[in-house]
Amino acid sequence: MVLVAIAAVTNTRGGRFMIPFIIRKVLVLIPMLFVISFLIFLGIELMPGDAVDFMIPPDALATISQADLDLLRAELGLDDPFLVRYGTWIAQVVKGDFGYSLQSGVSVRDLLAQKLPATIELSLAALVISTLLGSLLGVVSALNKGRLGDHVLTVAGMIGVAIPQFLFGLVMIVLVVFQMELLPVGGRMTPGNEAFFQRLDHLILPATVLGLSMTAGVMRYSRASMLDSLSKEFIRTARSKGIPEWRVNLIHGLRVAMTPVAVLIGFRLPILIGGSVVIEQVFQWPGVGQMFVAAVRSQNTPVIMMIAFFSVSIVLVASILVDIATALLDPRVKLS
Amino acid sequence: MKKLSAIVLFLCLAAILFAAGTQEATSLPAAWEAQGTPLADVRIRQALRLAIDMETIVDELFEGMAQRAVAMTSPGSWLADGLDPYSYDPEKAKALLDEAGWPADYTLDVVYYYGDQQTVDLMAIIQQYWATVGVKSSFRKLEGDLAAQLWVPPADRKNGPSEVKWDLAYAAVAALSENEFYDRFESTASNNSSIPWQSGLDEKVQATRATADVEQQKVAFKALQKEINANMYNIPLYHQLSFIYTSDALDIAGSTLGNDQFSFEKNILDWRINRADGTLYTNGGPMEFYEAPTVNPGLYLYQELLFDKLVNADANLTPAEGMLAKNYSVSPDGMQITFELRDDVKWHDGRAFSAKDVVFTLEYLIKTPGLNAVALNTFKSLAGAKEYLDGKASSISGIKVNGNTVTLTFSTLDPNALLTFSQWPILPSHLLAGSNPVTLQQNSFWQKPVGTGPFKVSQTVLGNYAILERNAAYYRSGNGNVKKIFMHASGENDSNLVKNAESGRIDYAWSKSVADAQSIGAIDGMTVNPVNIRYTRVFWVNQYPHPANIK
Amino acid sequence: MDRLLTLENQGKLKTSTMNRSVRKLSANMLALVGLALFLLILTASIAAPLISSYEPNAIDLKHRLSPPGETHLLGTDQIGRDIFTRILYGGRISMFVGLGSAIGAALIGVSLGTYAGYTRGVLDSAVMKLSEIMMSFPQIILVSILVTIAGQSLWNLILIFILTGWPSMYRMTRSQMLSIREQEYIQALQAFGIGSFTISFKHMLPNAIGPIFVNITLSTAMFILQEAALSFLGLGVPLEQATWGNILNVAQDLNILRNAWWVWLPVGVVITLFVMSVNFIGDGLRDAADPTQVG
Repeated sequence: MVLVAIAAVTNTRGGRFMIPFIIRKVLVLIPMLFVISFLIFLGIELMPGDAVDFMIPPDALATISQADLDLLRAELGLDDPFLVRYGTWIAQVVKGDFGYSLQSGVSVRDLLAQKLPATIELSLAALVISTLLGSLLGVVSALNKGRLGDHVLTVAGMIGVAIPQFLFGLVMIVLVVFQMELLPVGGRMTPGNEAFFQRLDHLILPATVLGLSMTAGVMRYSRASMLDSLSKEFIRTARSKGIPEWRVNLIHGLRVAMTPVAVLIGFRLPILIGGSVVIEQVFQWPGVGQMFVAAVRSQNTPVIMMIAFFSVSIVLVASILVDIATALLDPRVKLS
Repeated sequence: MKKLSAIVLFLCLAAILFAAGTQEATSLPAAWEAQGTPLADVRIRQALRLAIDMETIVDELFEGMAQRAVAMTSPGSWLADGLDPYSYDPEKAKALLDEAGWPADYTLDVVYYYGDQQTVDLMAIIQQYWATVGVKSSFRKLEGDLAAQLWVPPADRKNGPSEVKWDLAYAAVAALSENEFYDRFESTASNNSSIPWQSGLDEKVQATRATADVEQQKVAFKALQKEINANMYNIPLYHQLSFIYTSDALDIAGSTLGNDQFSFEKNILDWRINRADGTLYTNGGPMEFYEAPTVNPGLYLYQELLFDKLVNADANLTPAEGMLAKNYSVSPDGMQITFELRDDVKWHDGRAFSAKDVVFTLEYLIKTPGLNAVALNTFKSLAGAKEYLDGKASSISGIKVNGNTVTLTFSTLDPNALLTFSQWPILPSHLLAGSNPVTLQQNSFWQKPVGTGPFKVSQTVLGNYAILERNAAYYRSGNGNVKKIFMHASGENDSNLVKNAESGRIDYAWSKSVADAQSIGAIDGMTVNPVNIRYTRVFWVNQYPHPANIK
Repeated sequence: MDRLLTLENQGKLKTSTMNRSVRKLSANMLALVGLALFLLILTASIAAPLISSYEPNAIDLKHRLSPPGETHLLGTDQIGRDIFTRILYGGRISMFVGLGSAIGAALIGVSLGTYAGYTRGVLDSAVMKLSEIMMSFPQIILVSILVTIAGQSLWNLILIFILTGWPSMYRMTRSQMLSIREQEYIQALQAFGIGSFTISFKHMLPNAIGPIFVNITLSTAMFILQEAALSFLGLGVPLEQATWGNILNVAQDLNILRNAWWVWLPVGVVITLFVMSVNFIGDGLRDAADPTQVG
C-alpha cells in the first residue's frame, strides 16, 4: 500500500493533488489525537480510587497506615491536580517519553517493546489464517452454490462467529492440549526455543482460535466476489472457447483471493489489536492485551494511556491509508 | 416491510418489559433511622451466626477443604478450649431475633472486596440462610479506595457515630503472628472501624503484647478469645487452608511443608527433581516486576530463594536457627538482640555481605510505605527509631555494629521481633543506598534483583517466565540436584495453574483456592498437601450507631 | 394484451396478497429457521416461571453439581441451583442487554443520523467528528475503561453499550440519508415548504428502515457476545445476577470444564444458537430489503 502511495505521488499527473490531500488528512489527525487522549485521561481520573490503592493486597490494607500511602502518592505525582498531570503527560509524549509504569517503574516504552511484538505476531498469524482459510472456503462455497456444500459452509461460518471466543479457546485447550497432547498449553515460547520456527507450536492454537471468528466474514466476502466474477461476460467467452472448467475456476479463484487482501487487511488490522485481549488471557500470551487488562484493573495510568493511544493511532492511520488508497483507485472521489 | 417491522418492534418491547419486571423491587424504608443500630445487640449478632450452617458450607462448597472457625485463631495450642461453636440452629436464631426485636424491614448492607466466583457463591448461600430466619440482606462489592470505605475509625470510640457505612464486612485476616488477629479489637487501634470501646476489652488485648514468654502469651490470647466468643464482637466464619501442590517428579527430601505465604526453611538445596536438566517448575514468576518483600516477605517463592534473612524460620514460622547470623541471642527481658553475622556470604554479584547491609536494610525499610505492620512495629520499637523517622537523627541509635556483630536495643518490648528478622530479608546496600525508600518497588533493582540466597536470577521474560539458577557461591551446599527453577509468570491468583499442572509443568506451587485443589487433586502425578495457615475469614459487624444504608 | 388486461382486472395476476419483502423473507430458509429459533428462545425466557418451577437463585448445597436427571432437567451448578431455570431467567437479562442496547443505540444513532444527514451543516460535522473519535477506539478498550469508571452493574453496561454503539448506527443512517436526499420527491417536498423534521423523519426514514433493522439485529448479537467476553475478563454484570455470560464464566474452572459439562455446554450452545439465529434473521432482512435481488 505504501508503495502504491509513493508511486501515485511521484506520478506527475495525480501527484500534485495527492500531497495536499495527504497533508490535510494528517493535520486533522493531530487535534483528534489530543481530544482522544484527553478523554481517556479524564476517564482514568474518574475511576474510583487510584493506582496506589491497587499496590497493596486488600487483606493487608487494614494494617497499612494511610499516611505512608499518601507519601507514595506524592512521590508518584498522583496528587497533583488533574490538568497538571495531563499537561506533564502530553509534554512527555511529545518528547517521546512514554512514561513509567506506576506499579514497577519500568518505562512504558520498554514494556511495549517487549509485549507489542507478541500481539502483532498473534494478530498477523490470525489474519493470515483467516484470509487464507476464508478465501479458500469462500471460493469452494461459490463453486457449490445452492448445493449442500454451500449451505454447510455458510452455517459453519455462522457458528464460528457465534461461539464466545473464550469458550472455544478453553474447549480447544482441553481437546488439543490435554487429550491429544499435540501442542503446549500456553505462553509464547520456552527457554532455548526462541527462534520463530521453534515457537510455532505455541502460536498455532491461539492464532487459530482468534482467526476462526474472522474467517466467516472473509468467507462471505470472497464467495460474493467469486460469484460476481463467475457471472461476468468473459467467463462465458472463455468457456465457449473450450477452456477447461477447472482452469476457469482456478484463475478466478486466485483473482478472488487477491482482492480481499487489500481491503480486508486495511479494515481489519485495527480491530485485531483490541480483539486479542480475551485470547491472550486464555492462552497466557504475553501481549499488549494482557497488559492492558492488568493496567485497567490497577489504574496504571501511563500504561493505559499509551496502549489506548497506540491502538487509536493505528486505527486512524489505517483509515487515512484506506482513504488515500480509495482516492487513488477511484477517480470519482474528489480530492478537494 | 412495515408490518414486519411492527411485529419485530412489538416483540422487542415485550422482551424489554418482561425483563424489566425481573428487576428487584425497592425495599421498604427502615425504622431504625437514628437509634444507633440493631447490630449493637449481642443477641442479633449471635443469631446471625447461628443462622448460617457453616458445617454444610465447608463440607459442600469447600468439599471439606476448609475449617469452620470458632475464633480468629485456628485449632491448635493457641486456641482456648470450651469456646461456643455456635452450631447451626435456625430455631434458636429466630428466637433470639424475636427476643431482641429485629426489625423485619431492615436490609443488612454487606460489603466484600473479592471478585472471585467462590466468594460470590458464598455470599449467595449466606443470603439464603439469613432469609430463612427472616433477615433480609444485600451484598455489594467495593471498588476503589478500600481502606477509606472499610477501616476508618470514628472520632468517638465509645459512642460513635460510625465513620463507615456498611453493616457487615466480609474480610480476611492473614496473620503472621497471633497479635495481628486481635490488635484490632482495641479501641485505640487505627483500623478498628466497627467495635466500640468495651469495658475490659482493651486490657485483655494489651495483655497479649505484654510479655515475650510464649506460654504467658497463650494464656492471654485464650482469655481474649473467650471474651470475644461470648460477645460475638465479630463473626468468624472459616479458616482457609493453603494447599501445596507437588509433583511426583519432586522429592523434597523429608522437609516439612508449611505456611507458604511466608518464609520458612524448605531445604531446597536438598531437593531432588527427576528431570534430566535438573529444572524444577513452579509459578509466581514476575508479570511486570519482582515483588519487593515489604508487604509480603515470602509470598512468592523467589523472595525466599533470592534473599536470606538474619534468622531462619521452621515450617511453623517459629524462628529456629541462624541464617545470615551464625549466632544470635535475645536478652531475658527481650529488649536486646545480638546477631553475630557470617563472614563467608557474598551477594549474587560477587560483593561481600557485611553488617553495613543489615543496618542499611533496617533504616531503609522503616521508611517504605506499605511495610507489613509486624515488621514496622519491630523497627519502630528500636531505640532511636522515632528520632530517625522525625529527621532529628541520621541513623537509628539502637543499632550498634561491632565488626561482624550487630546489637539491637529496643525502647519498647516487641514480642515478635525475632519473628520479623526470620521473615524480612536483608537487602544490598551497595545497590539500593541513596535511592528513595518511598518508591522502592519502582526501583529498577526489581527487574533483576540481587540477593545472597541459594538461587540467583538467570533469565527473565516478563509476563511469560523467569529462570533462577543455583548459586554456586552459596555458603551452604546440599545434596539435591535442582539446577534451575523455571517460574511461569503469574500474579497472586494464578488462573493458569491448573492448566500448567495438567501439562506436567508444575513441580511445586501453592494456592489458597479450593477450586485449584480440587482440579489438581484429580491429576495423576500431582499431590495436594493441605496446610493450616493463619488465615481466617470473618464478618466484621458494625456496632457503632449508623443509619440503615439500604432504604 | 387484452387477455392480460382482463386477467389483471379480475385480480388473477397477483401472485400473493403478502407484502413483497415478507414474501422474500419467507423464501429464505435460513432466515425462517433463525426466526423460529429466536422466537423459541425468547418465548421460553419470557415464560420462564411457567416452564420451570424452580427459582433461579434457590441454593441447594446438598445437591450441587448433579448431572442432568429427573429432578433437574439440565442438572445443577456448583451451589445447587437448577441450570435450566438459570438459563431461562438469565436469557431475559442477556437478551435485554443485547436488544436494549441495540435499540438504544439505534434510537440515538438513527435520530441523529436522520436529522443531521438531511440538514448537513454544523450539527452534522460536529456529530460526525464525535462519532469518528468514538469509532477509532477498539471496542473492548473503550468498554473496559468505561466499565471501570462507572462500576459494574446491569444498567451501566447497557448504557456503555449504547454509548459505544450509536456511532456506527449514526454513520449508516447518515449515508442512507445522503443518497435519499438527492431524490426528486424530496426536492418537491422542500419546494412545498415542509419542515426539515417532517421531511427527514416522516418521508426519508421509512425508506431507510431496512438496513437499520439489519443493523439492530447484528448489534444485538454482538452485544450478547461482548457481555460474555466482559464477564470472562471480570468486567461484566455482577456475578450474583444470572446472565448467560455469568453462567458461562464458571467454565474457566478446569474442574467444571471437564467434569461438569452440563454447567457450561448448554449455556454455550444457547448463546451460539441465539446469536446464529439473530444473524440469520439479519441476513434475511438484508436480502429481503435489497431491491437488486429478485423476489
